[in-house]
Amino acid sequence: MEADELLVLVAGGDQKAFEDLYALVSGPVFGLVRRVVRDPAQSEEVAQEVLLELWRSAARYDPGRGTALAWVLTLAHRRAVDRVRSARAAGERELRMARRANGPAFDHVAEEVEAGLEREWVRRCLDRLTALQRQSVTLAYYDGYTYREVAERLSLPLGTVKTRMRDGLTRLRNCLGGVA
Amino acid sequence: MTSIFRRGELHSLAAPYALDALEPKEHKRFEKHLGRCEDCAAEVRALREDAVRLAWSTAAPAPAALRDRVLTAVRNTPQDPAPAAEPRERARAERPPSRARRSSFSPFLIPLASTTAAAALVVAALFGVQASRTQDRLDQERAQAREITHVLAAPDARAVTGRDAKGRGLGVVASASQRAAVVTGAGLGSPADDRVHQLWLMRPEGKPRSLGLLDGDTPLIATGLNPDATSLAVTVEPSGGSPQPTTAPVVQLALESLGFGE
Ligand SMILES: [Zn+2]
Repeated sequence: MEADELLVLVAGGDQKAFEDLYALVSGPVFGLVRRVVRDPAQSEEVAQEVLLELWRSAARYDPGRGTALAWVLTLAHRRAVDRVRSARAAGERELRMARRANGPAFDHVAEEVEAGLEREWVRRCLDRLTALQRQSVTLAYYDGYTYREVAERLSLPLGTVKTRMRDGLTRLRNCLGGVA
Repeated sequence: MTSIFRRGELHSLAAPYALDALEPKEHKRFEKHLGRCEDCAAEVRALREDAVRLAWSTAAPAPAALRDRVLTAVRNTPQDPAPAAEPRERARAERPPSRARRSSFSPFLIPLASTTAAAALVVAALFGVQASRTQDRLDQERAQAREITHVLAAPDARAVTGRDAKGRGLGVVASASQRAAVVTGAGLGSPADDRVHQLWLMRPEGKPRSLGLLDGDTPLIATGLNPDATSLAVTVEPSGGSPQPTTAPVVQLALESLGFGE
């Protein structure tokens, strides 16, 4: 069964369906959270919150507003970004050290066969963006910076960053080719 | 005048919103705007799916302990009630039109890398599909069946099936010693009119190698497989196929558990 169908069952309190849903989405949820949060212990904590929230709020999934997968990963991304921003605001040293130890984007993620090829394609497509498009998209999505922070970091006007983000995502879509 | 200008500015927040890159205040304002502006709602929907691709490529196995903790918590956590506003959406979700067809591929709904037990299921699926074929097709497939039997008879023949979260996948029976595999697609649907599904052998060194076109659930026999092959991938290509993939794979399957990639 697909995530969309499973979510409907989960909304009805079906624990077995939740186990199936867990099997489908726990890898993407955990991987994404770890990518944004970096710190392993915190990543696990956030992933746990997200997965439990899927159970609690499954009834809020609205198929009219996108796929179940988008809903799940949007939720995971938002929670991860919240965590990384509050950690940043608190100037948490540990996290910064973990980030440094883990190196720049792309390098620290262990090679896993299943996601490997998809990762390769996404990377290839990211490479085809202009540097500003790529940085605007990845600083926001993978590193959890707001577009104002991105503008500051790249010394660009706000309007330019918004445009680069949209153009970057659109170009990514074209490169990935009707697959989504 | 100011209000028009502000509205215009709001429209431009769709991309940062889809990337969760708005400050809390803007975020709230834009969500309000989304309820009123269909253009932005549609744009966000599309951009979100793009972001999902970025997310999907970071997938990593979650620690086993996490599963235990989550499932235990689930047993002890009450659920929030459904929001009252969307009864129509729920009803639609319960009867999605295209699902029945997909569920017929249930033999393939096996976790990636389950081996011998899956072989029987793959074979059942391979031969089960012949019931509705014409005589021509059957003759053709009987010849294929001999090839398939040949692959299956190899002492090192193993099966693997995998599917992604959207129910698309591949079933493979392969023999590393024979360097041959029987491959069937599952849940791929039919590509657009002038498009085909093309199967590729992916290698760490060197370009992807075309193994032919996948036609519905007809098994494809691939021979002369390179021992260093790491995975199979299916892409959507212009009719007739392409010399090299021109789009990202719709499905992929690791060959590691089948004795390849060494
Ligand atoms: Zn708008």
